[in-house]
Amino acid sequence: MKNKFLIFAVLFFLVGFSGTTFAQTEDELVEICGMIAKDATYLKDFKVRLDAGDPPPLQRFSVILKKDIKYRFSVCNSKDMEGKVVLELFDNNRLIATTYVIATGKDYPSIDVVCQKTGAYHLSFKFKEGKPGLAVGLLSLVETL
Amino acid sequence: MPSSTMTRRFLFFVVVAILFSSCNSCRNSGKRLSDDFVIPDSLNSEKQPLEISPSVISDMVQNISSPIETAAVIKGLKVPFNKDYIANTKFSENFNTNFTKALGLGIYGCDLGYLNMYGKTSLVIDYITTVRSLADGIQVGQFFDFSTLKRLATNNENIDSLVLISQQSMTRIDTYLKENKRSNLSVVIVAGVWIEGLYLSSMVAQETKHQRMIETIGEQKEIISPLMLLMNNYKKDPNMARLIQSFEEIKSLYSEVKITSEVGEPTAVEVNGVLTIKPNDIQKIDISDETLQKIIAKVQEVRAKLLKG
Repeated sequence: MKNKFLIFAVLFFLVGFSGTTFAQTEDELVEICGMIAKDATYLKDFKVRLDAGDPPPLQRFSVILKKDIKYRFSVCNSKDMEGKVVLELFDNNRLIATTYVIATGKDYPSIDVVCQKTGAYHLSFKFKEGKPGLAVGLLSLVETL
Repeated sequence: MPSSTMTRRFLFFVVVAILFSSCNSCRNSGKRLSDDFVIPDSLNSEKQPLEISPSVISDMVQNISSPIETAAVIKGLKVPFNKDYIANTKFSENFNTNFTKALGLGIYGCDLGYLNMYGKTSLVIDYITTVRSLADGIQVGQFFDFSTLKRLATNNENIDSLVLISQQSMTRIDTYLKENKRSNLSVVIVAGVWIEGLYLSSMVAQETKHQRMIETIGEQKEIISPLMLLMNNYKKDPNMARLIQSFEEIKSLYSEVKITSEVGEPTAVEVNGVLTIKPNDIQKIDISDETLQKIIAKVQEVRAKLLKG
């Protein structure tokens, strides 16, 4: 009986630790996101982790964008969680860009934004249908105009 | 020895072995060093900073100043590299406190971005060493991938990786400081990057009279306000109060700069699967030559004072 308990304990550790070893880390997601951004120059990453909720919870960041620079916003979801991230860029309350276009139902792993006005903008991240998720957003520089 | 005892001992060793191997896998799985070594703030800061919740700091502007953007704009104008623009590394000897080390980290971090952007690998090593030393001084050197950067610079290989790792190291330092209630130092680094970026822009504007560079200086009016907002959270610290006073002198000159904006209707074009969005905004920056010269002179004065430590 005792032996059975010990075997169970060993199996528990094996299963538990194998799960930990293969879970995607946020740094790995940043690396993958960097590949999605291709040859654009890395500027900043945003780690997003949200629980399930209705309405979908949001995670916000403020960024300064500069005039006459083309920026690339890339997103990457963790394969360990079901949530699919949506990035939205706002100038005050005006939606400028998003990685998910509702009209076409199309998701974009990265979008380019040509900034024509230096100032503070707001980045908002959420997961579709309020599912729990882990994702990384990446801001990179494509070119100066 | 009875077989049940043998089995128990065997299983005990298996469990211990798994625990050891799992510890090793943590080390290799990209887990942040900060999870292993949490340095109490009381040991690091000269004065206990005003505590701001991490969520509030996160909501504040993330990238007030980027070494890469300034350098990219300068390089984009085809302005040749000039070694005289950047701070001599000998000034790093003047940075003896946590506050000045953080400030120096920002200044030299910005210069490193400028060097990297121009691929000046022969000079990069000196600046990497200085940045690493200053980062060590405020106990964040572990986030600076010194060996990889040195290898990339020494072998003159892959400038893109050099830029990426330098920038990521600065981001990791910033994140760690914010997560460990040392946001005051994070703000000081940002202030250092900003003043050095503005100094580089002012030198280029002075020598080239390029309209885009003059506009870059003028548009800092939009950036100095959120920066000062961050800095004012820590104004009880006498060092920060002095830095605020210097920056206020620059800010006051910006009252003469007029920025007008017209909001447009965003348009999107998809080319080869890449969606490009243009907000169609118009921003006009009016800055007289007199105001420009005053700002340039003040920035150079403040920067020279800061380099004295």
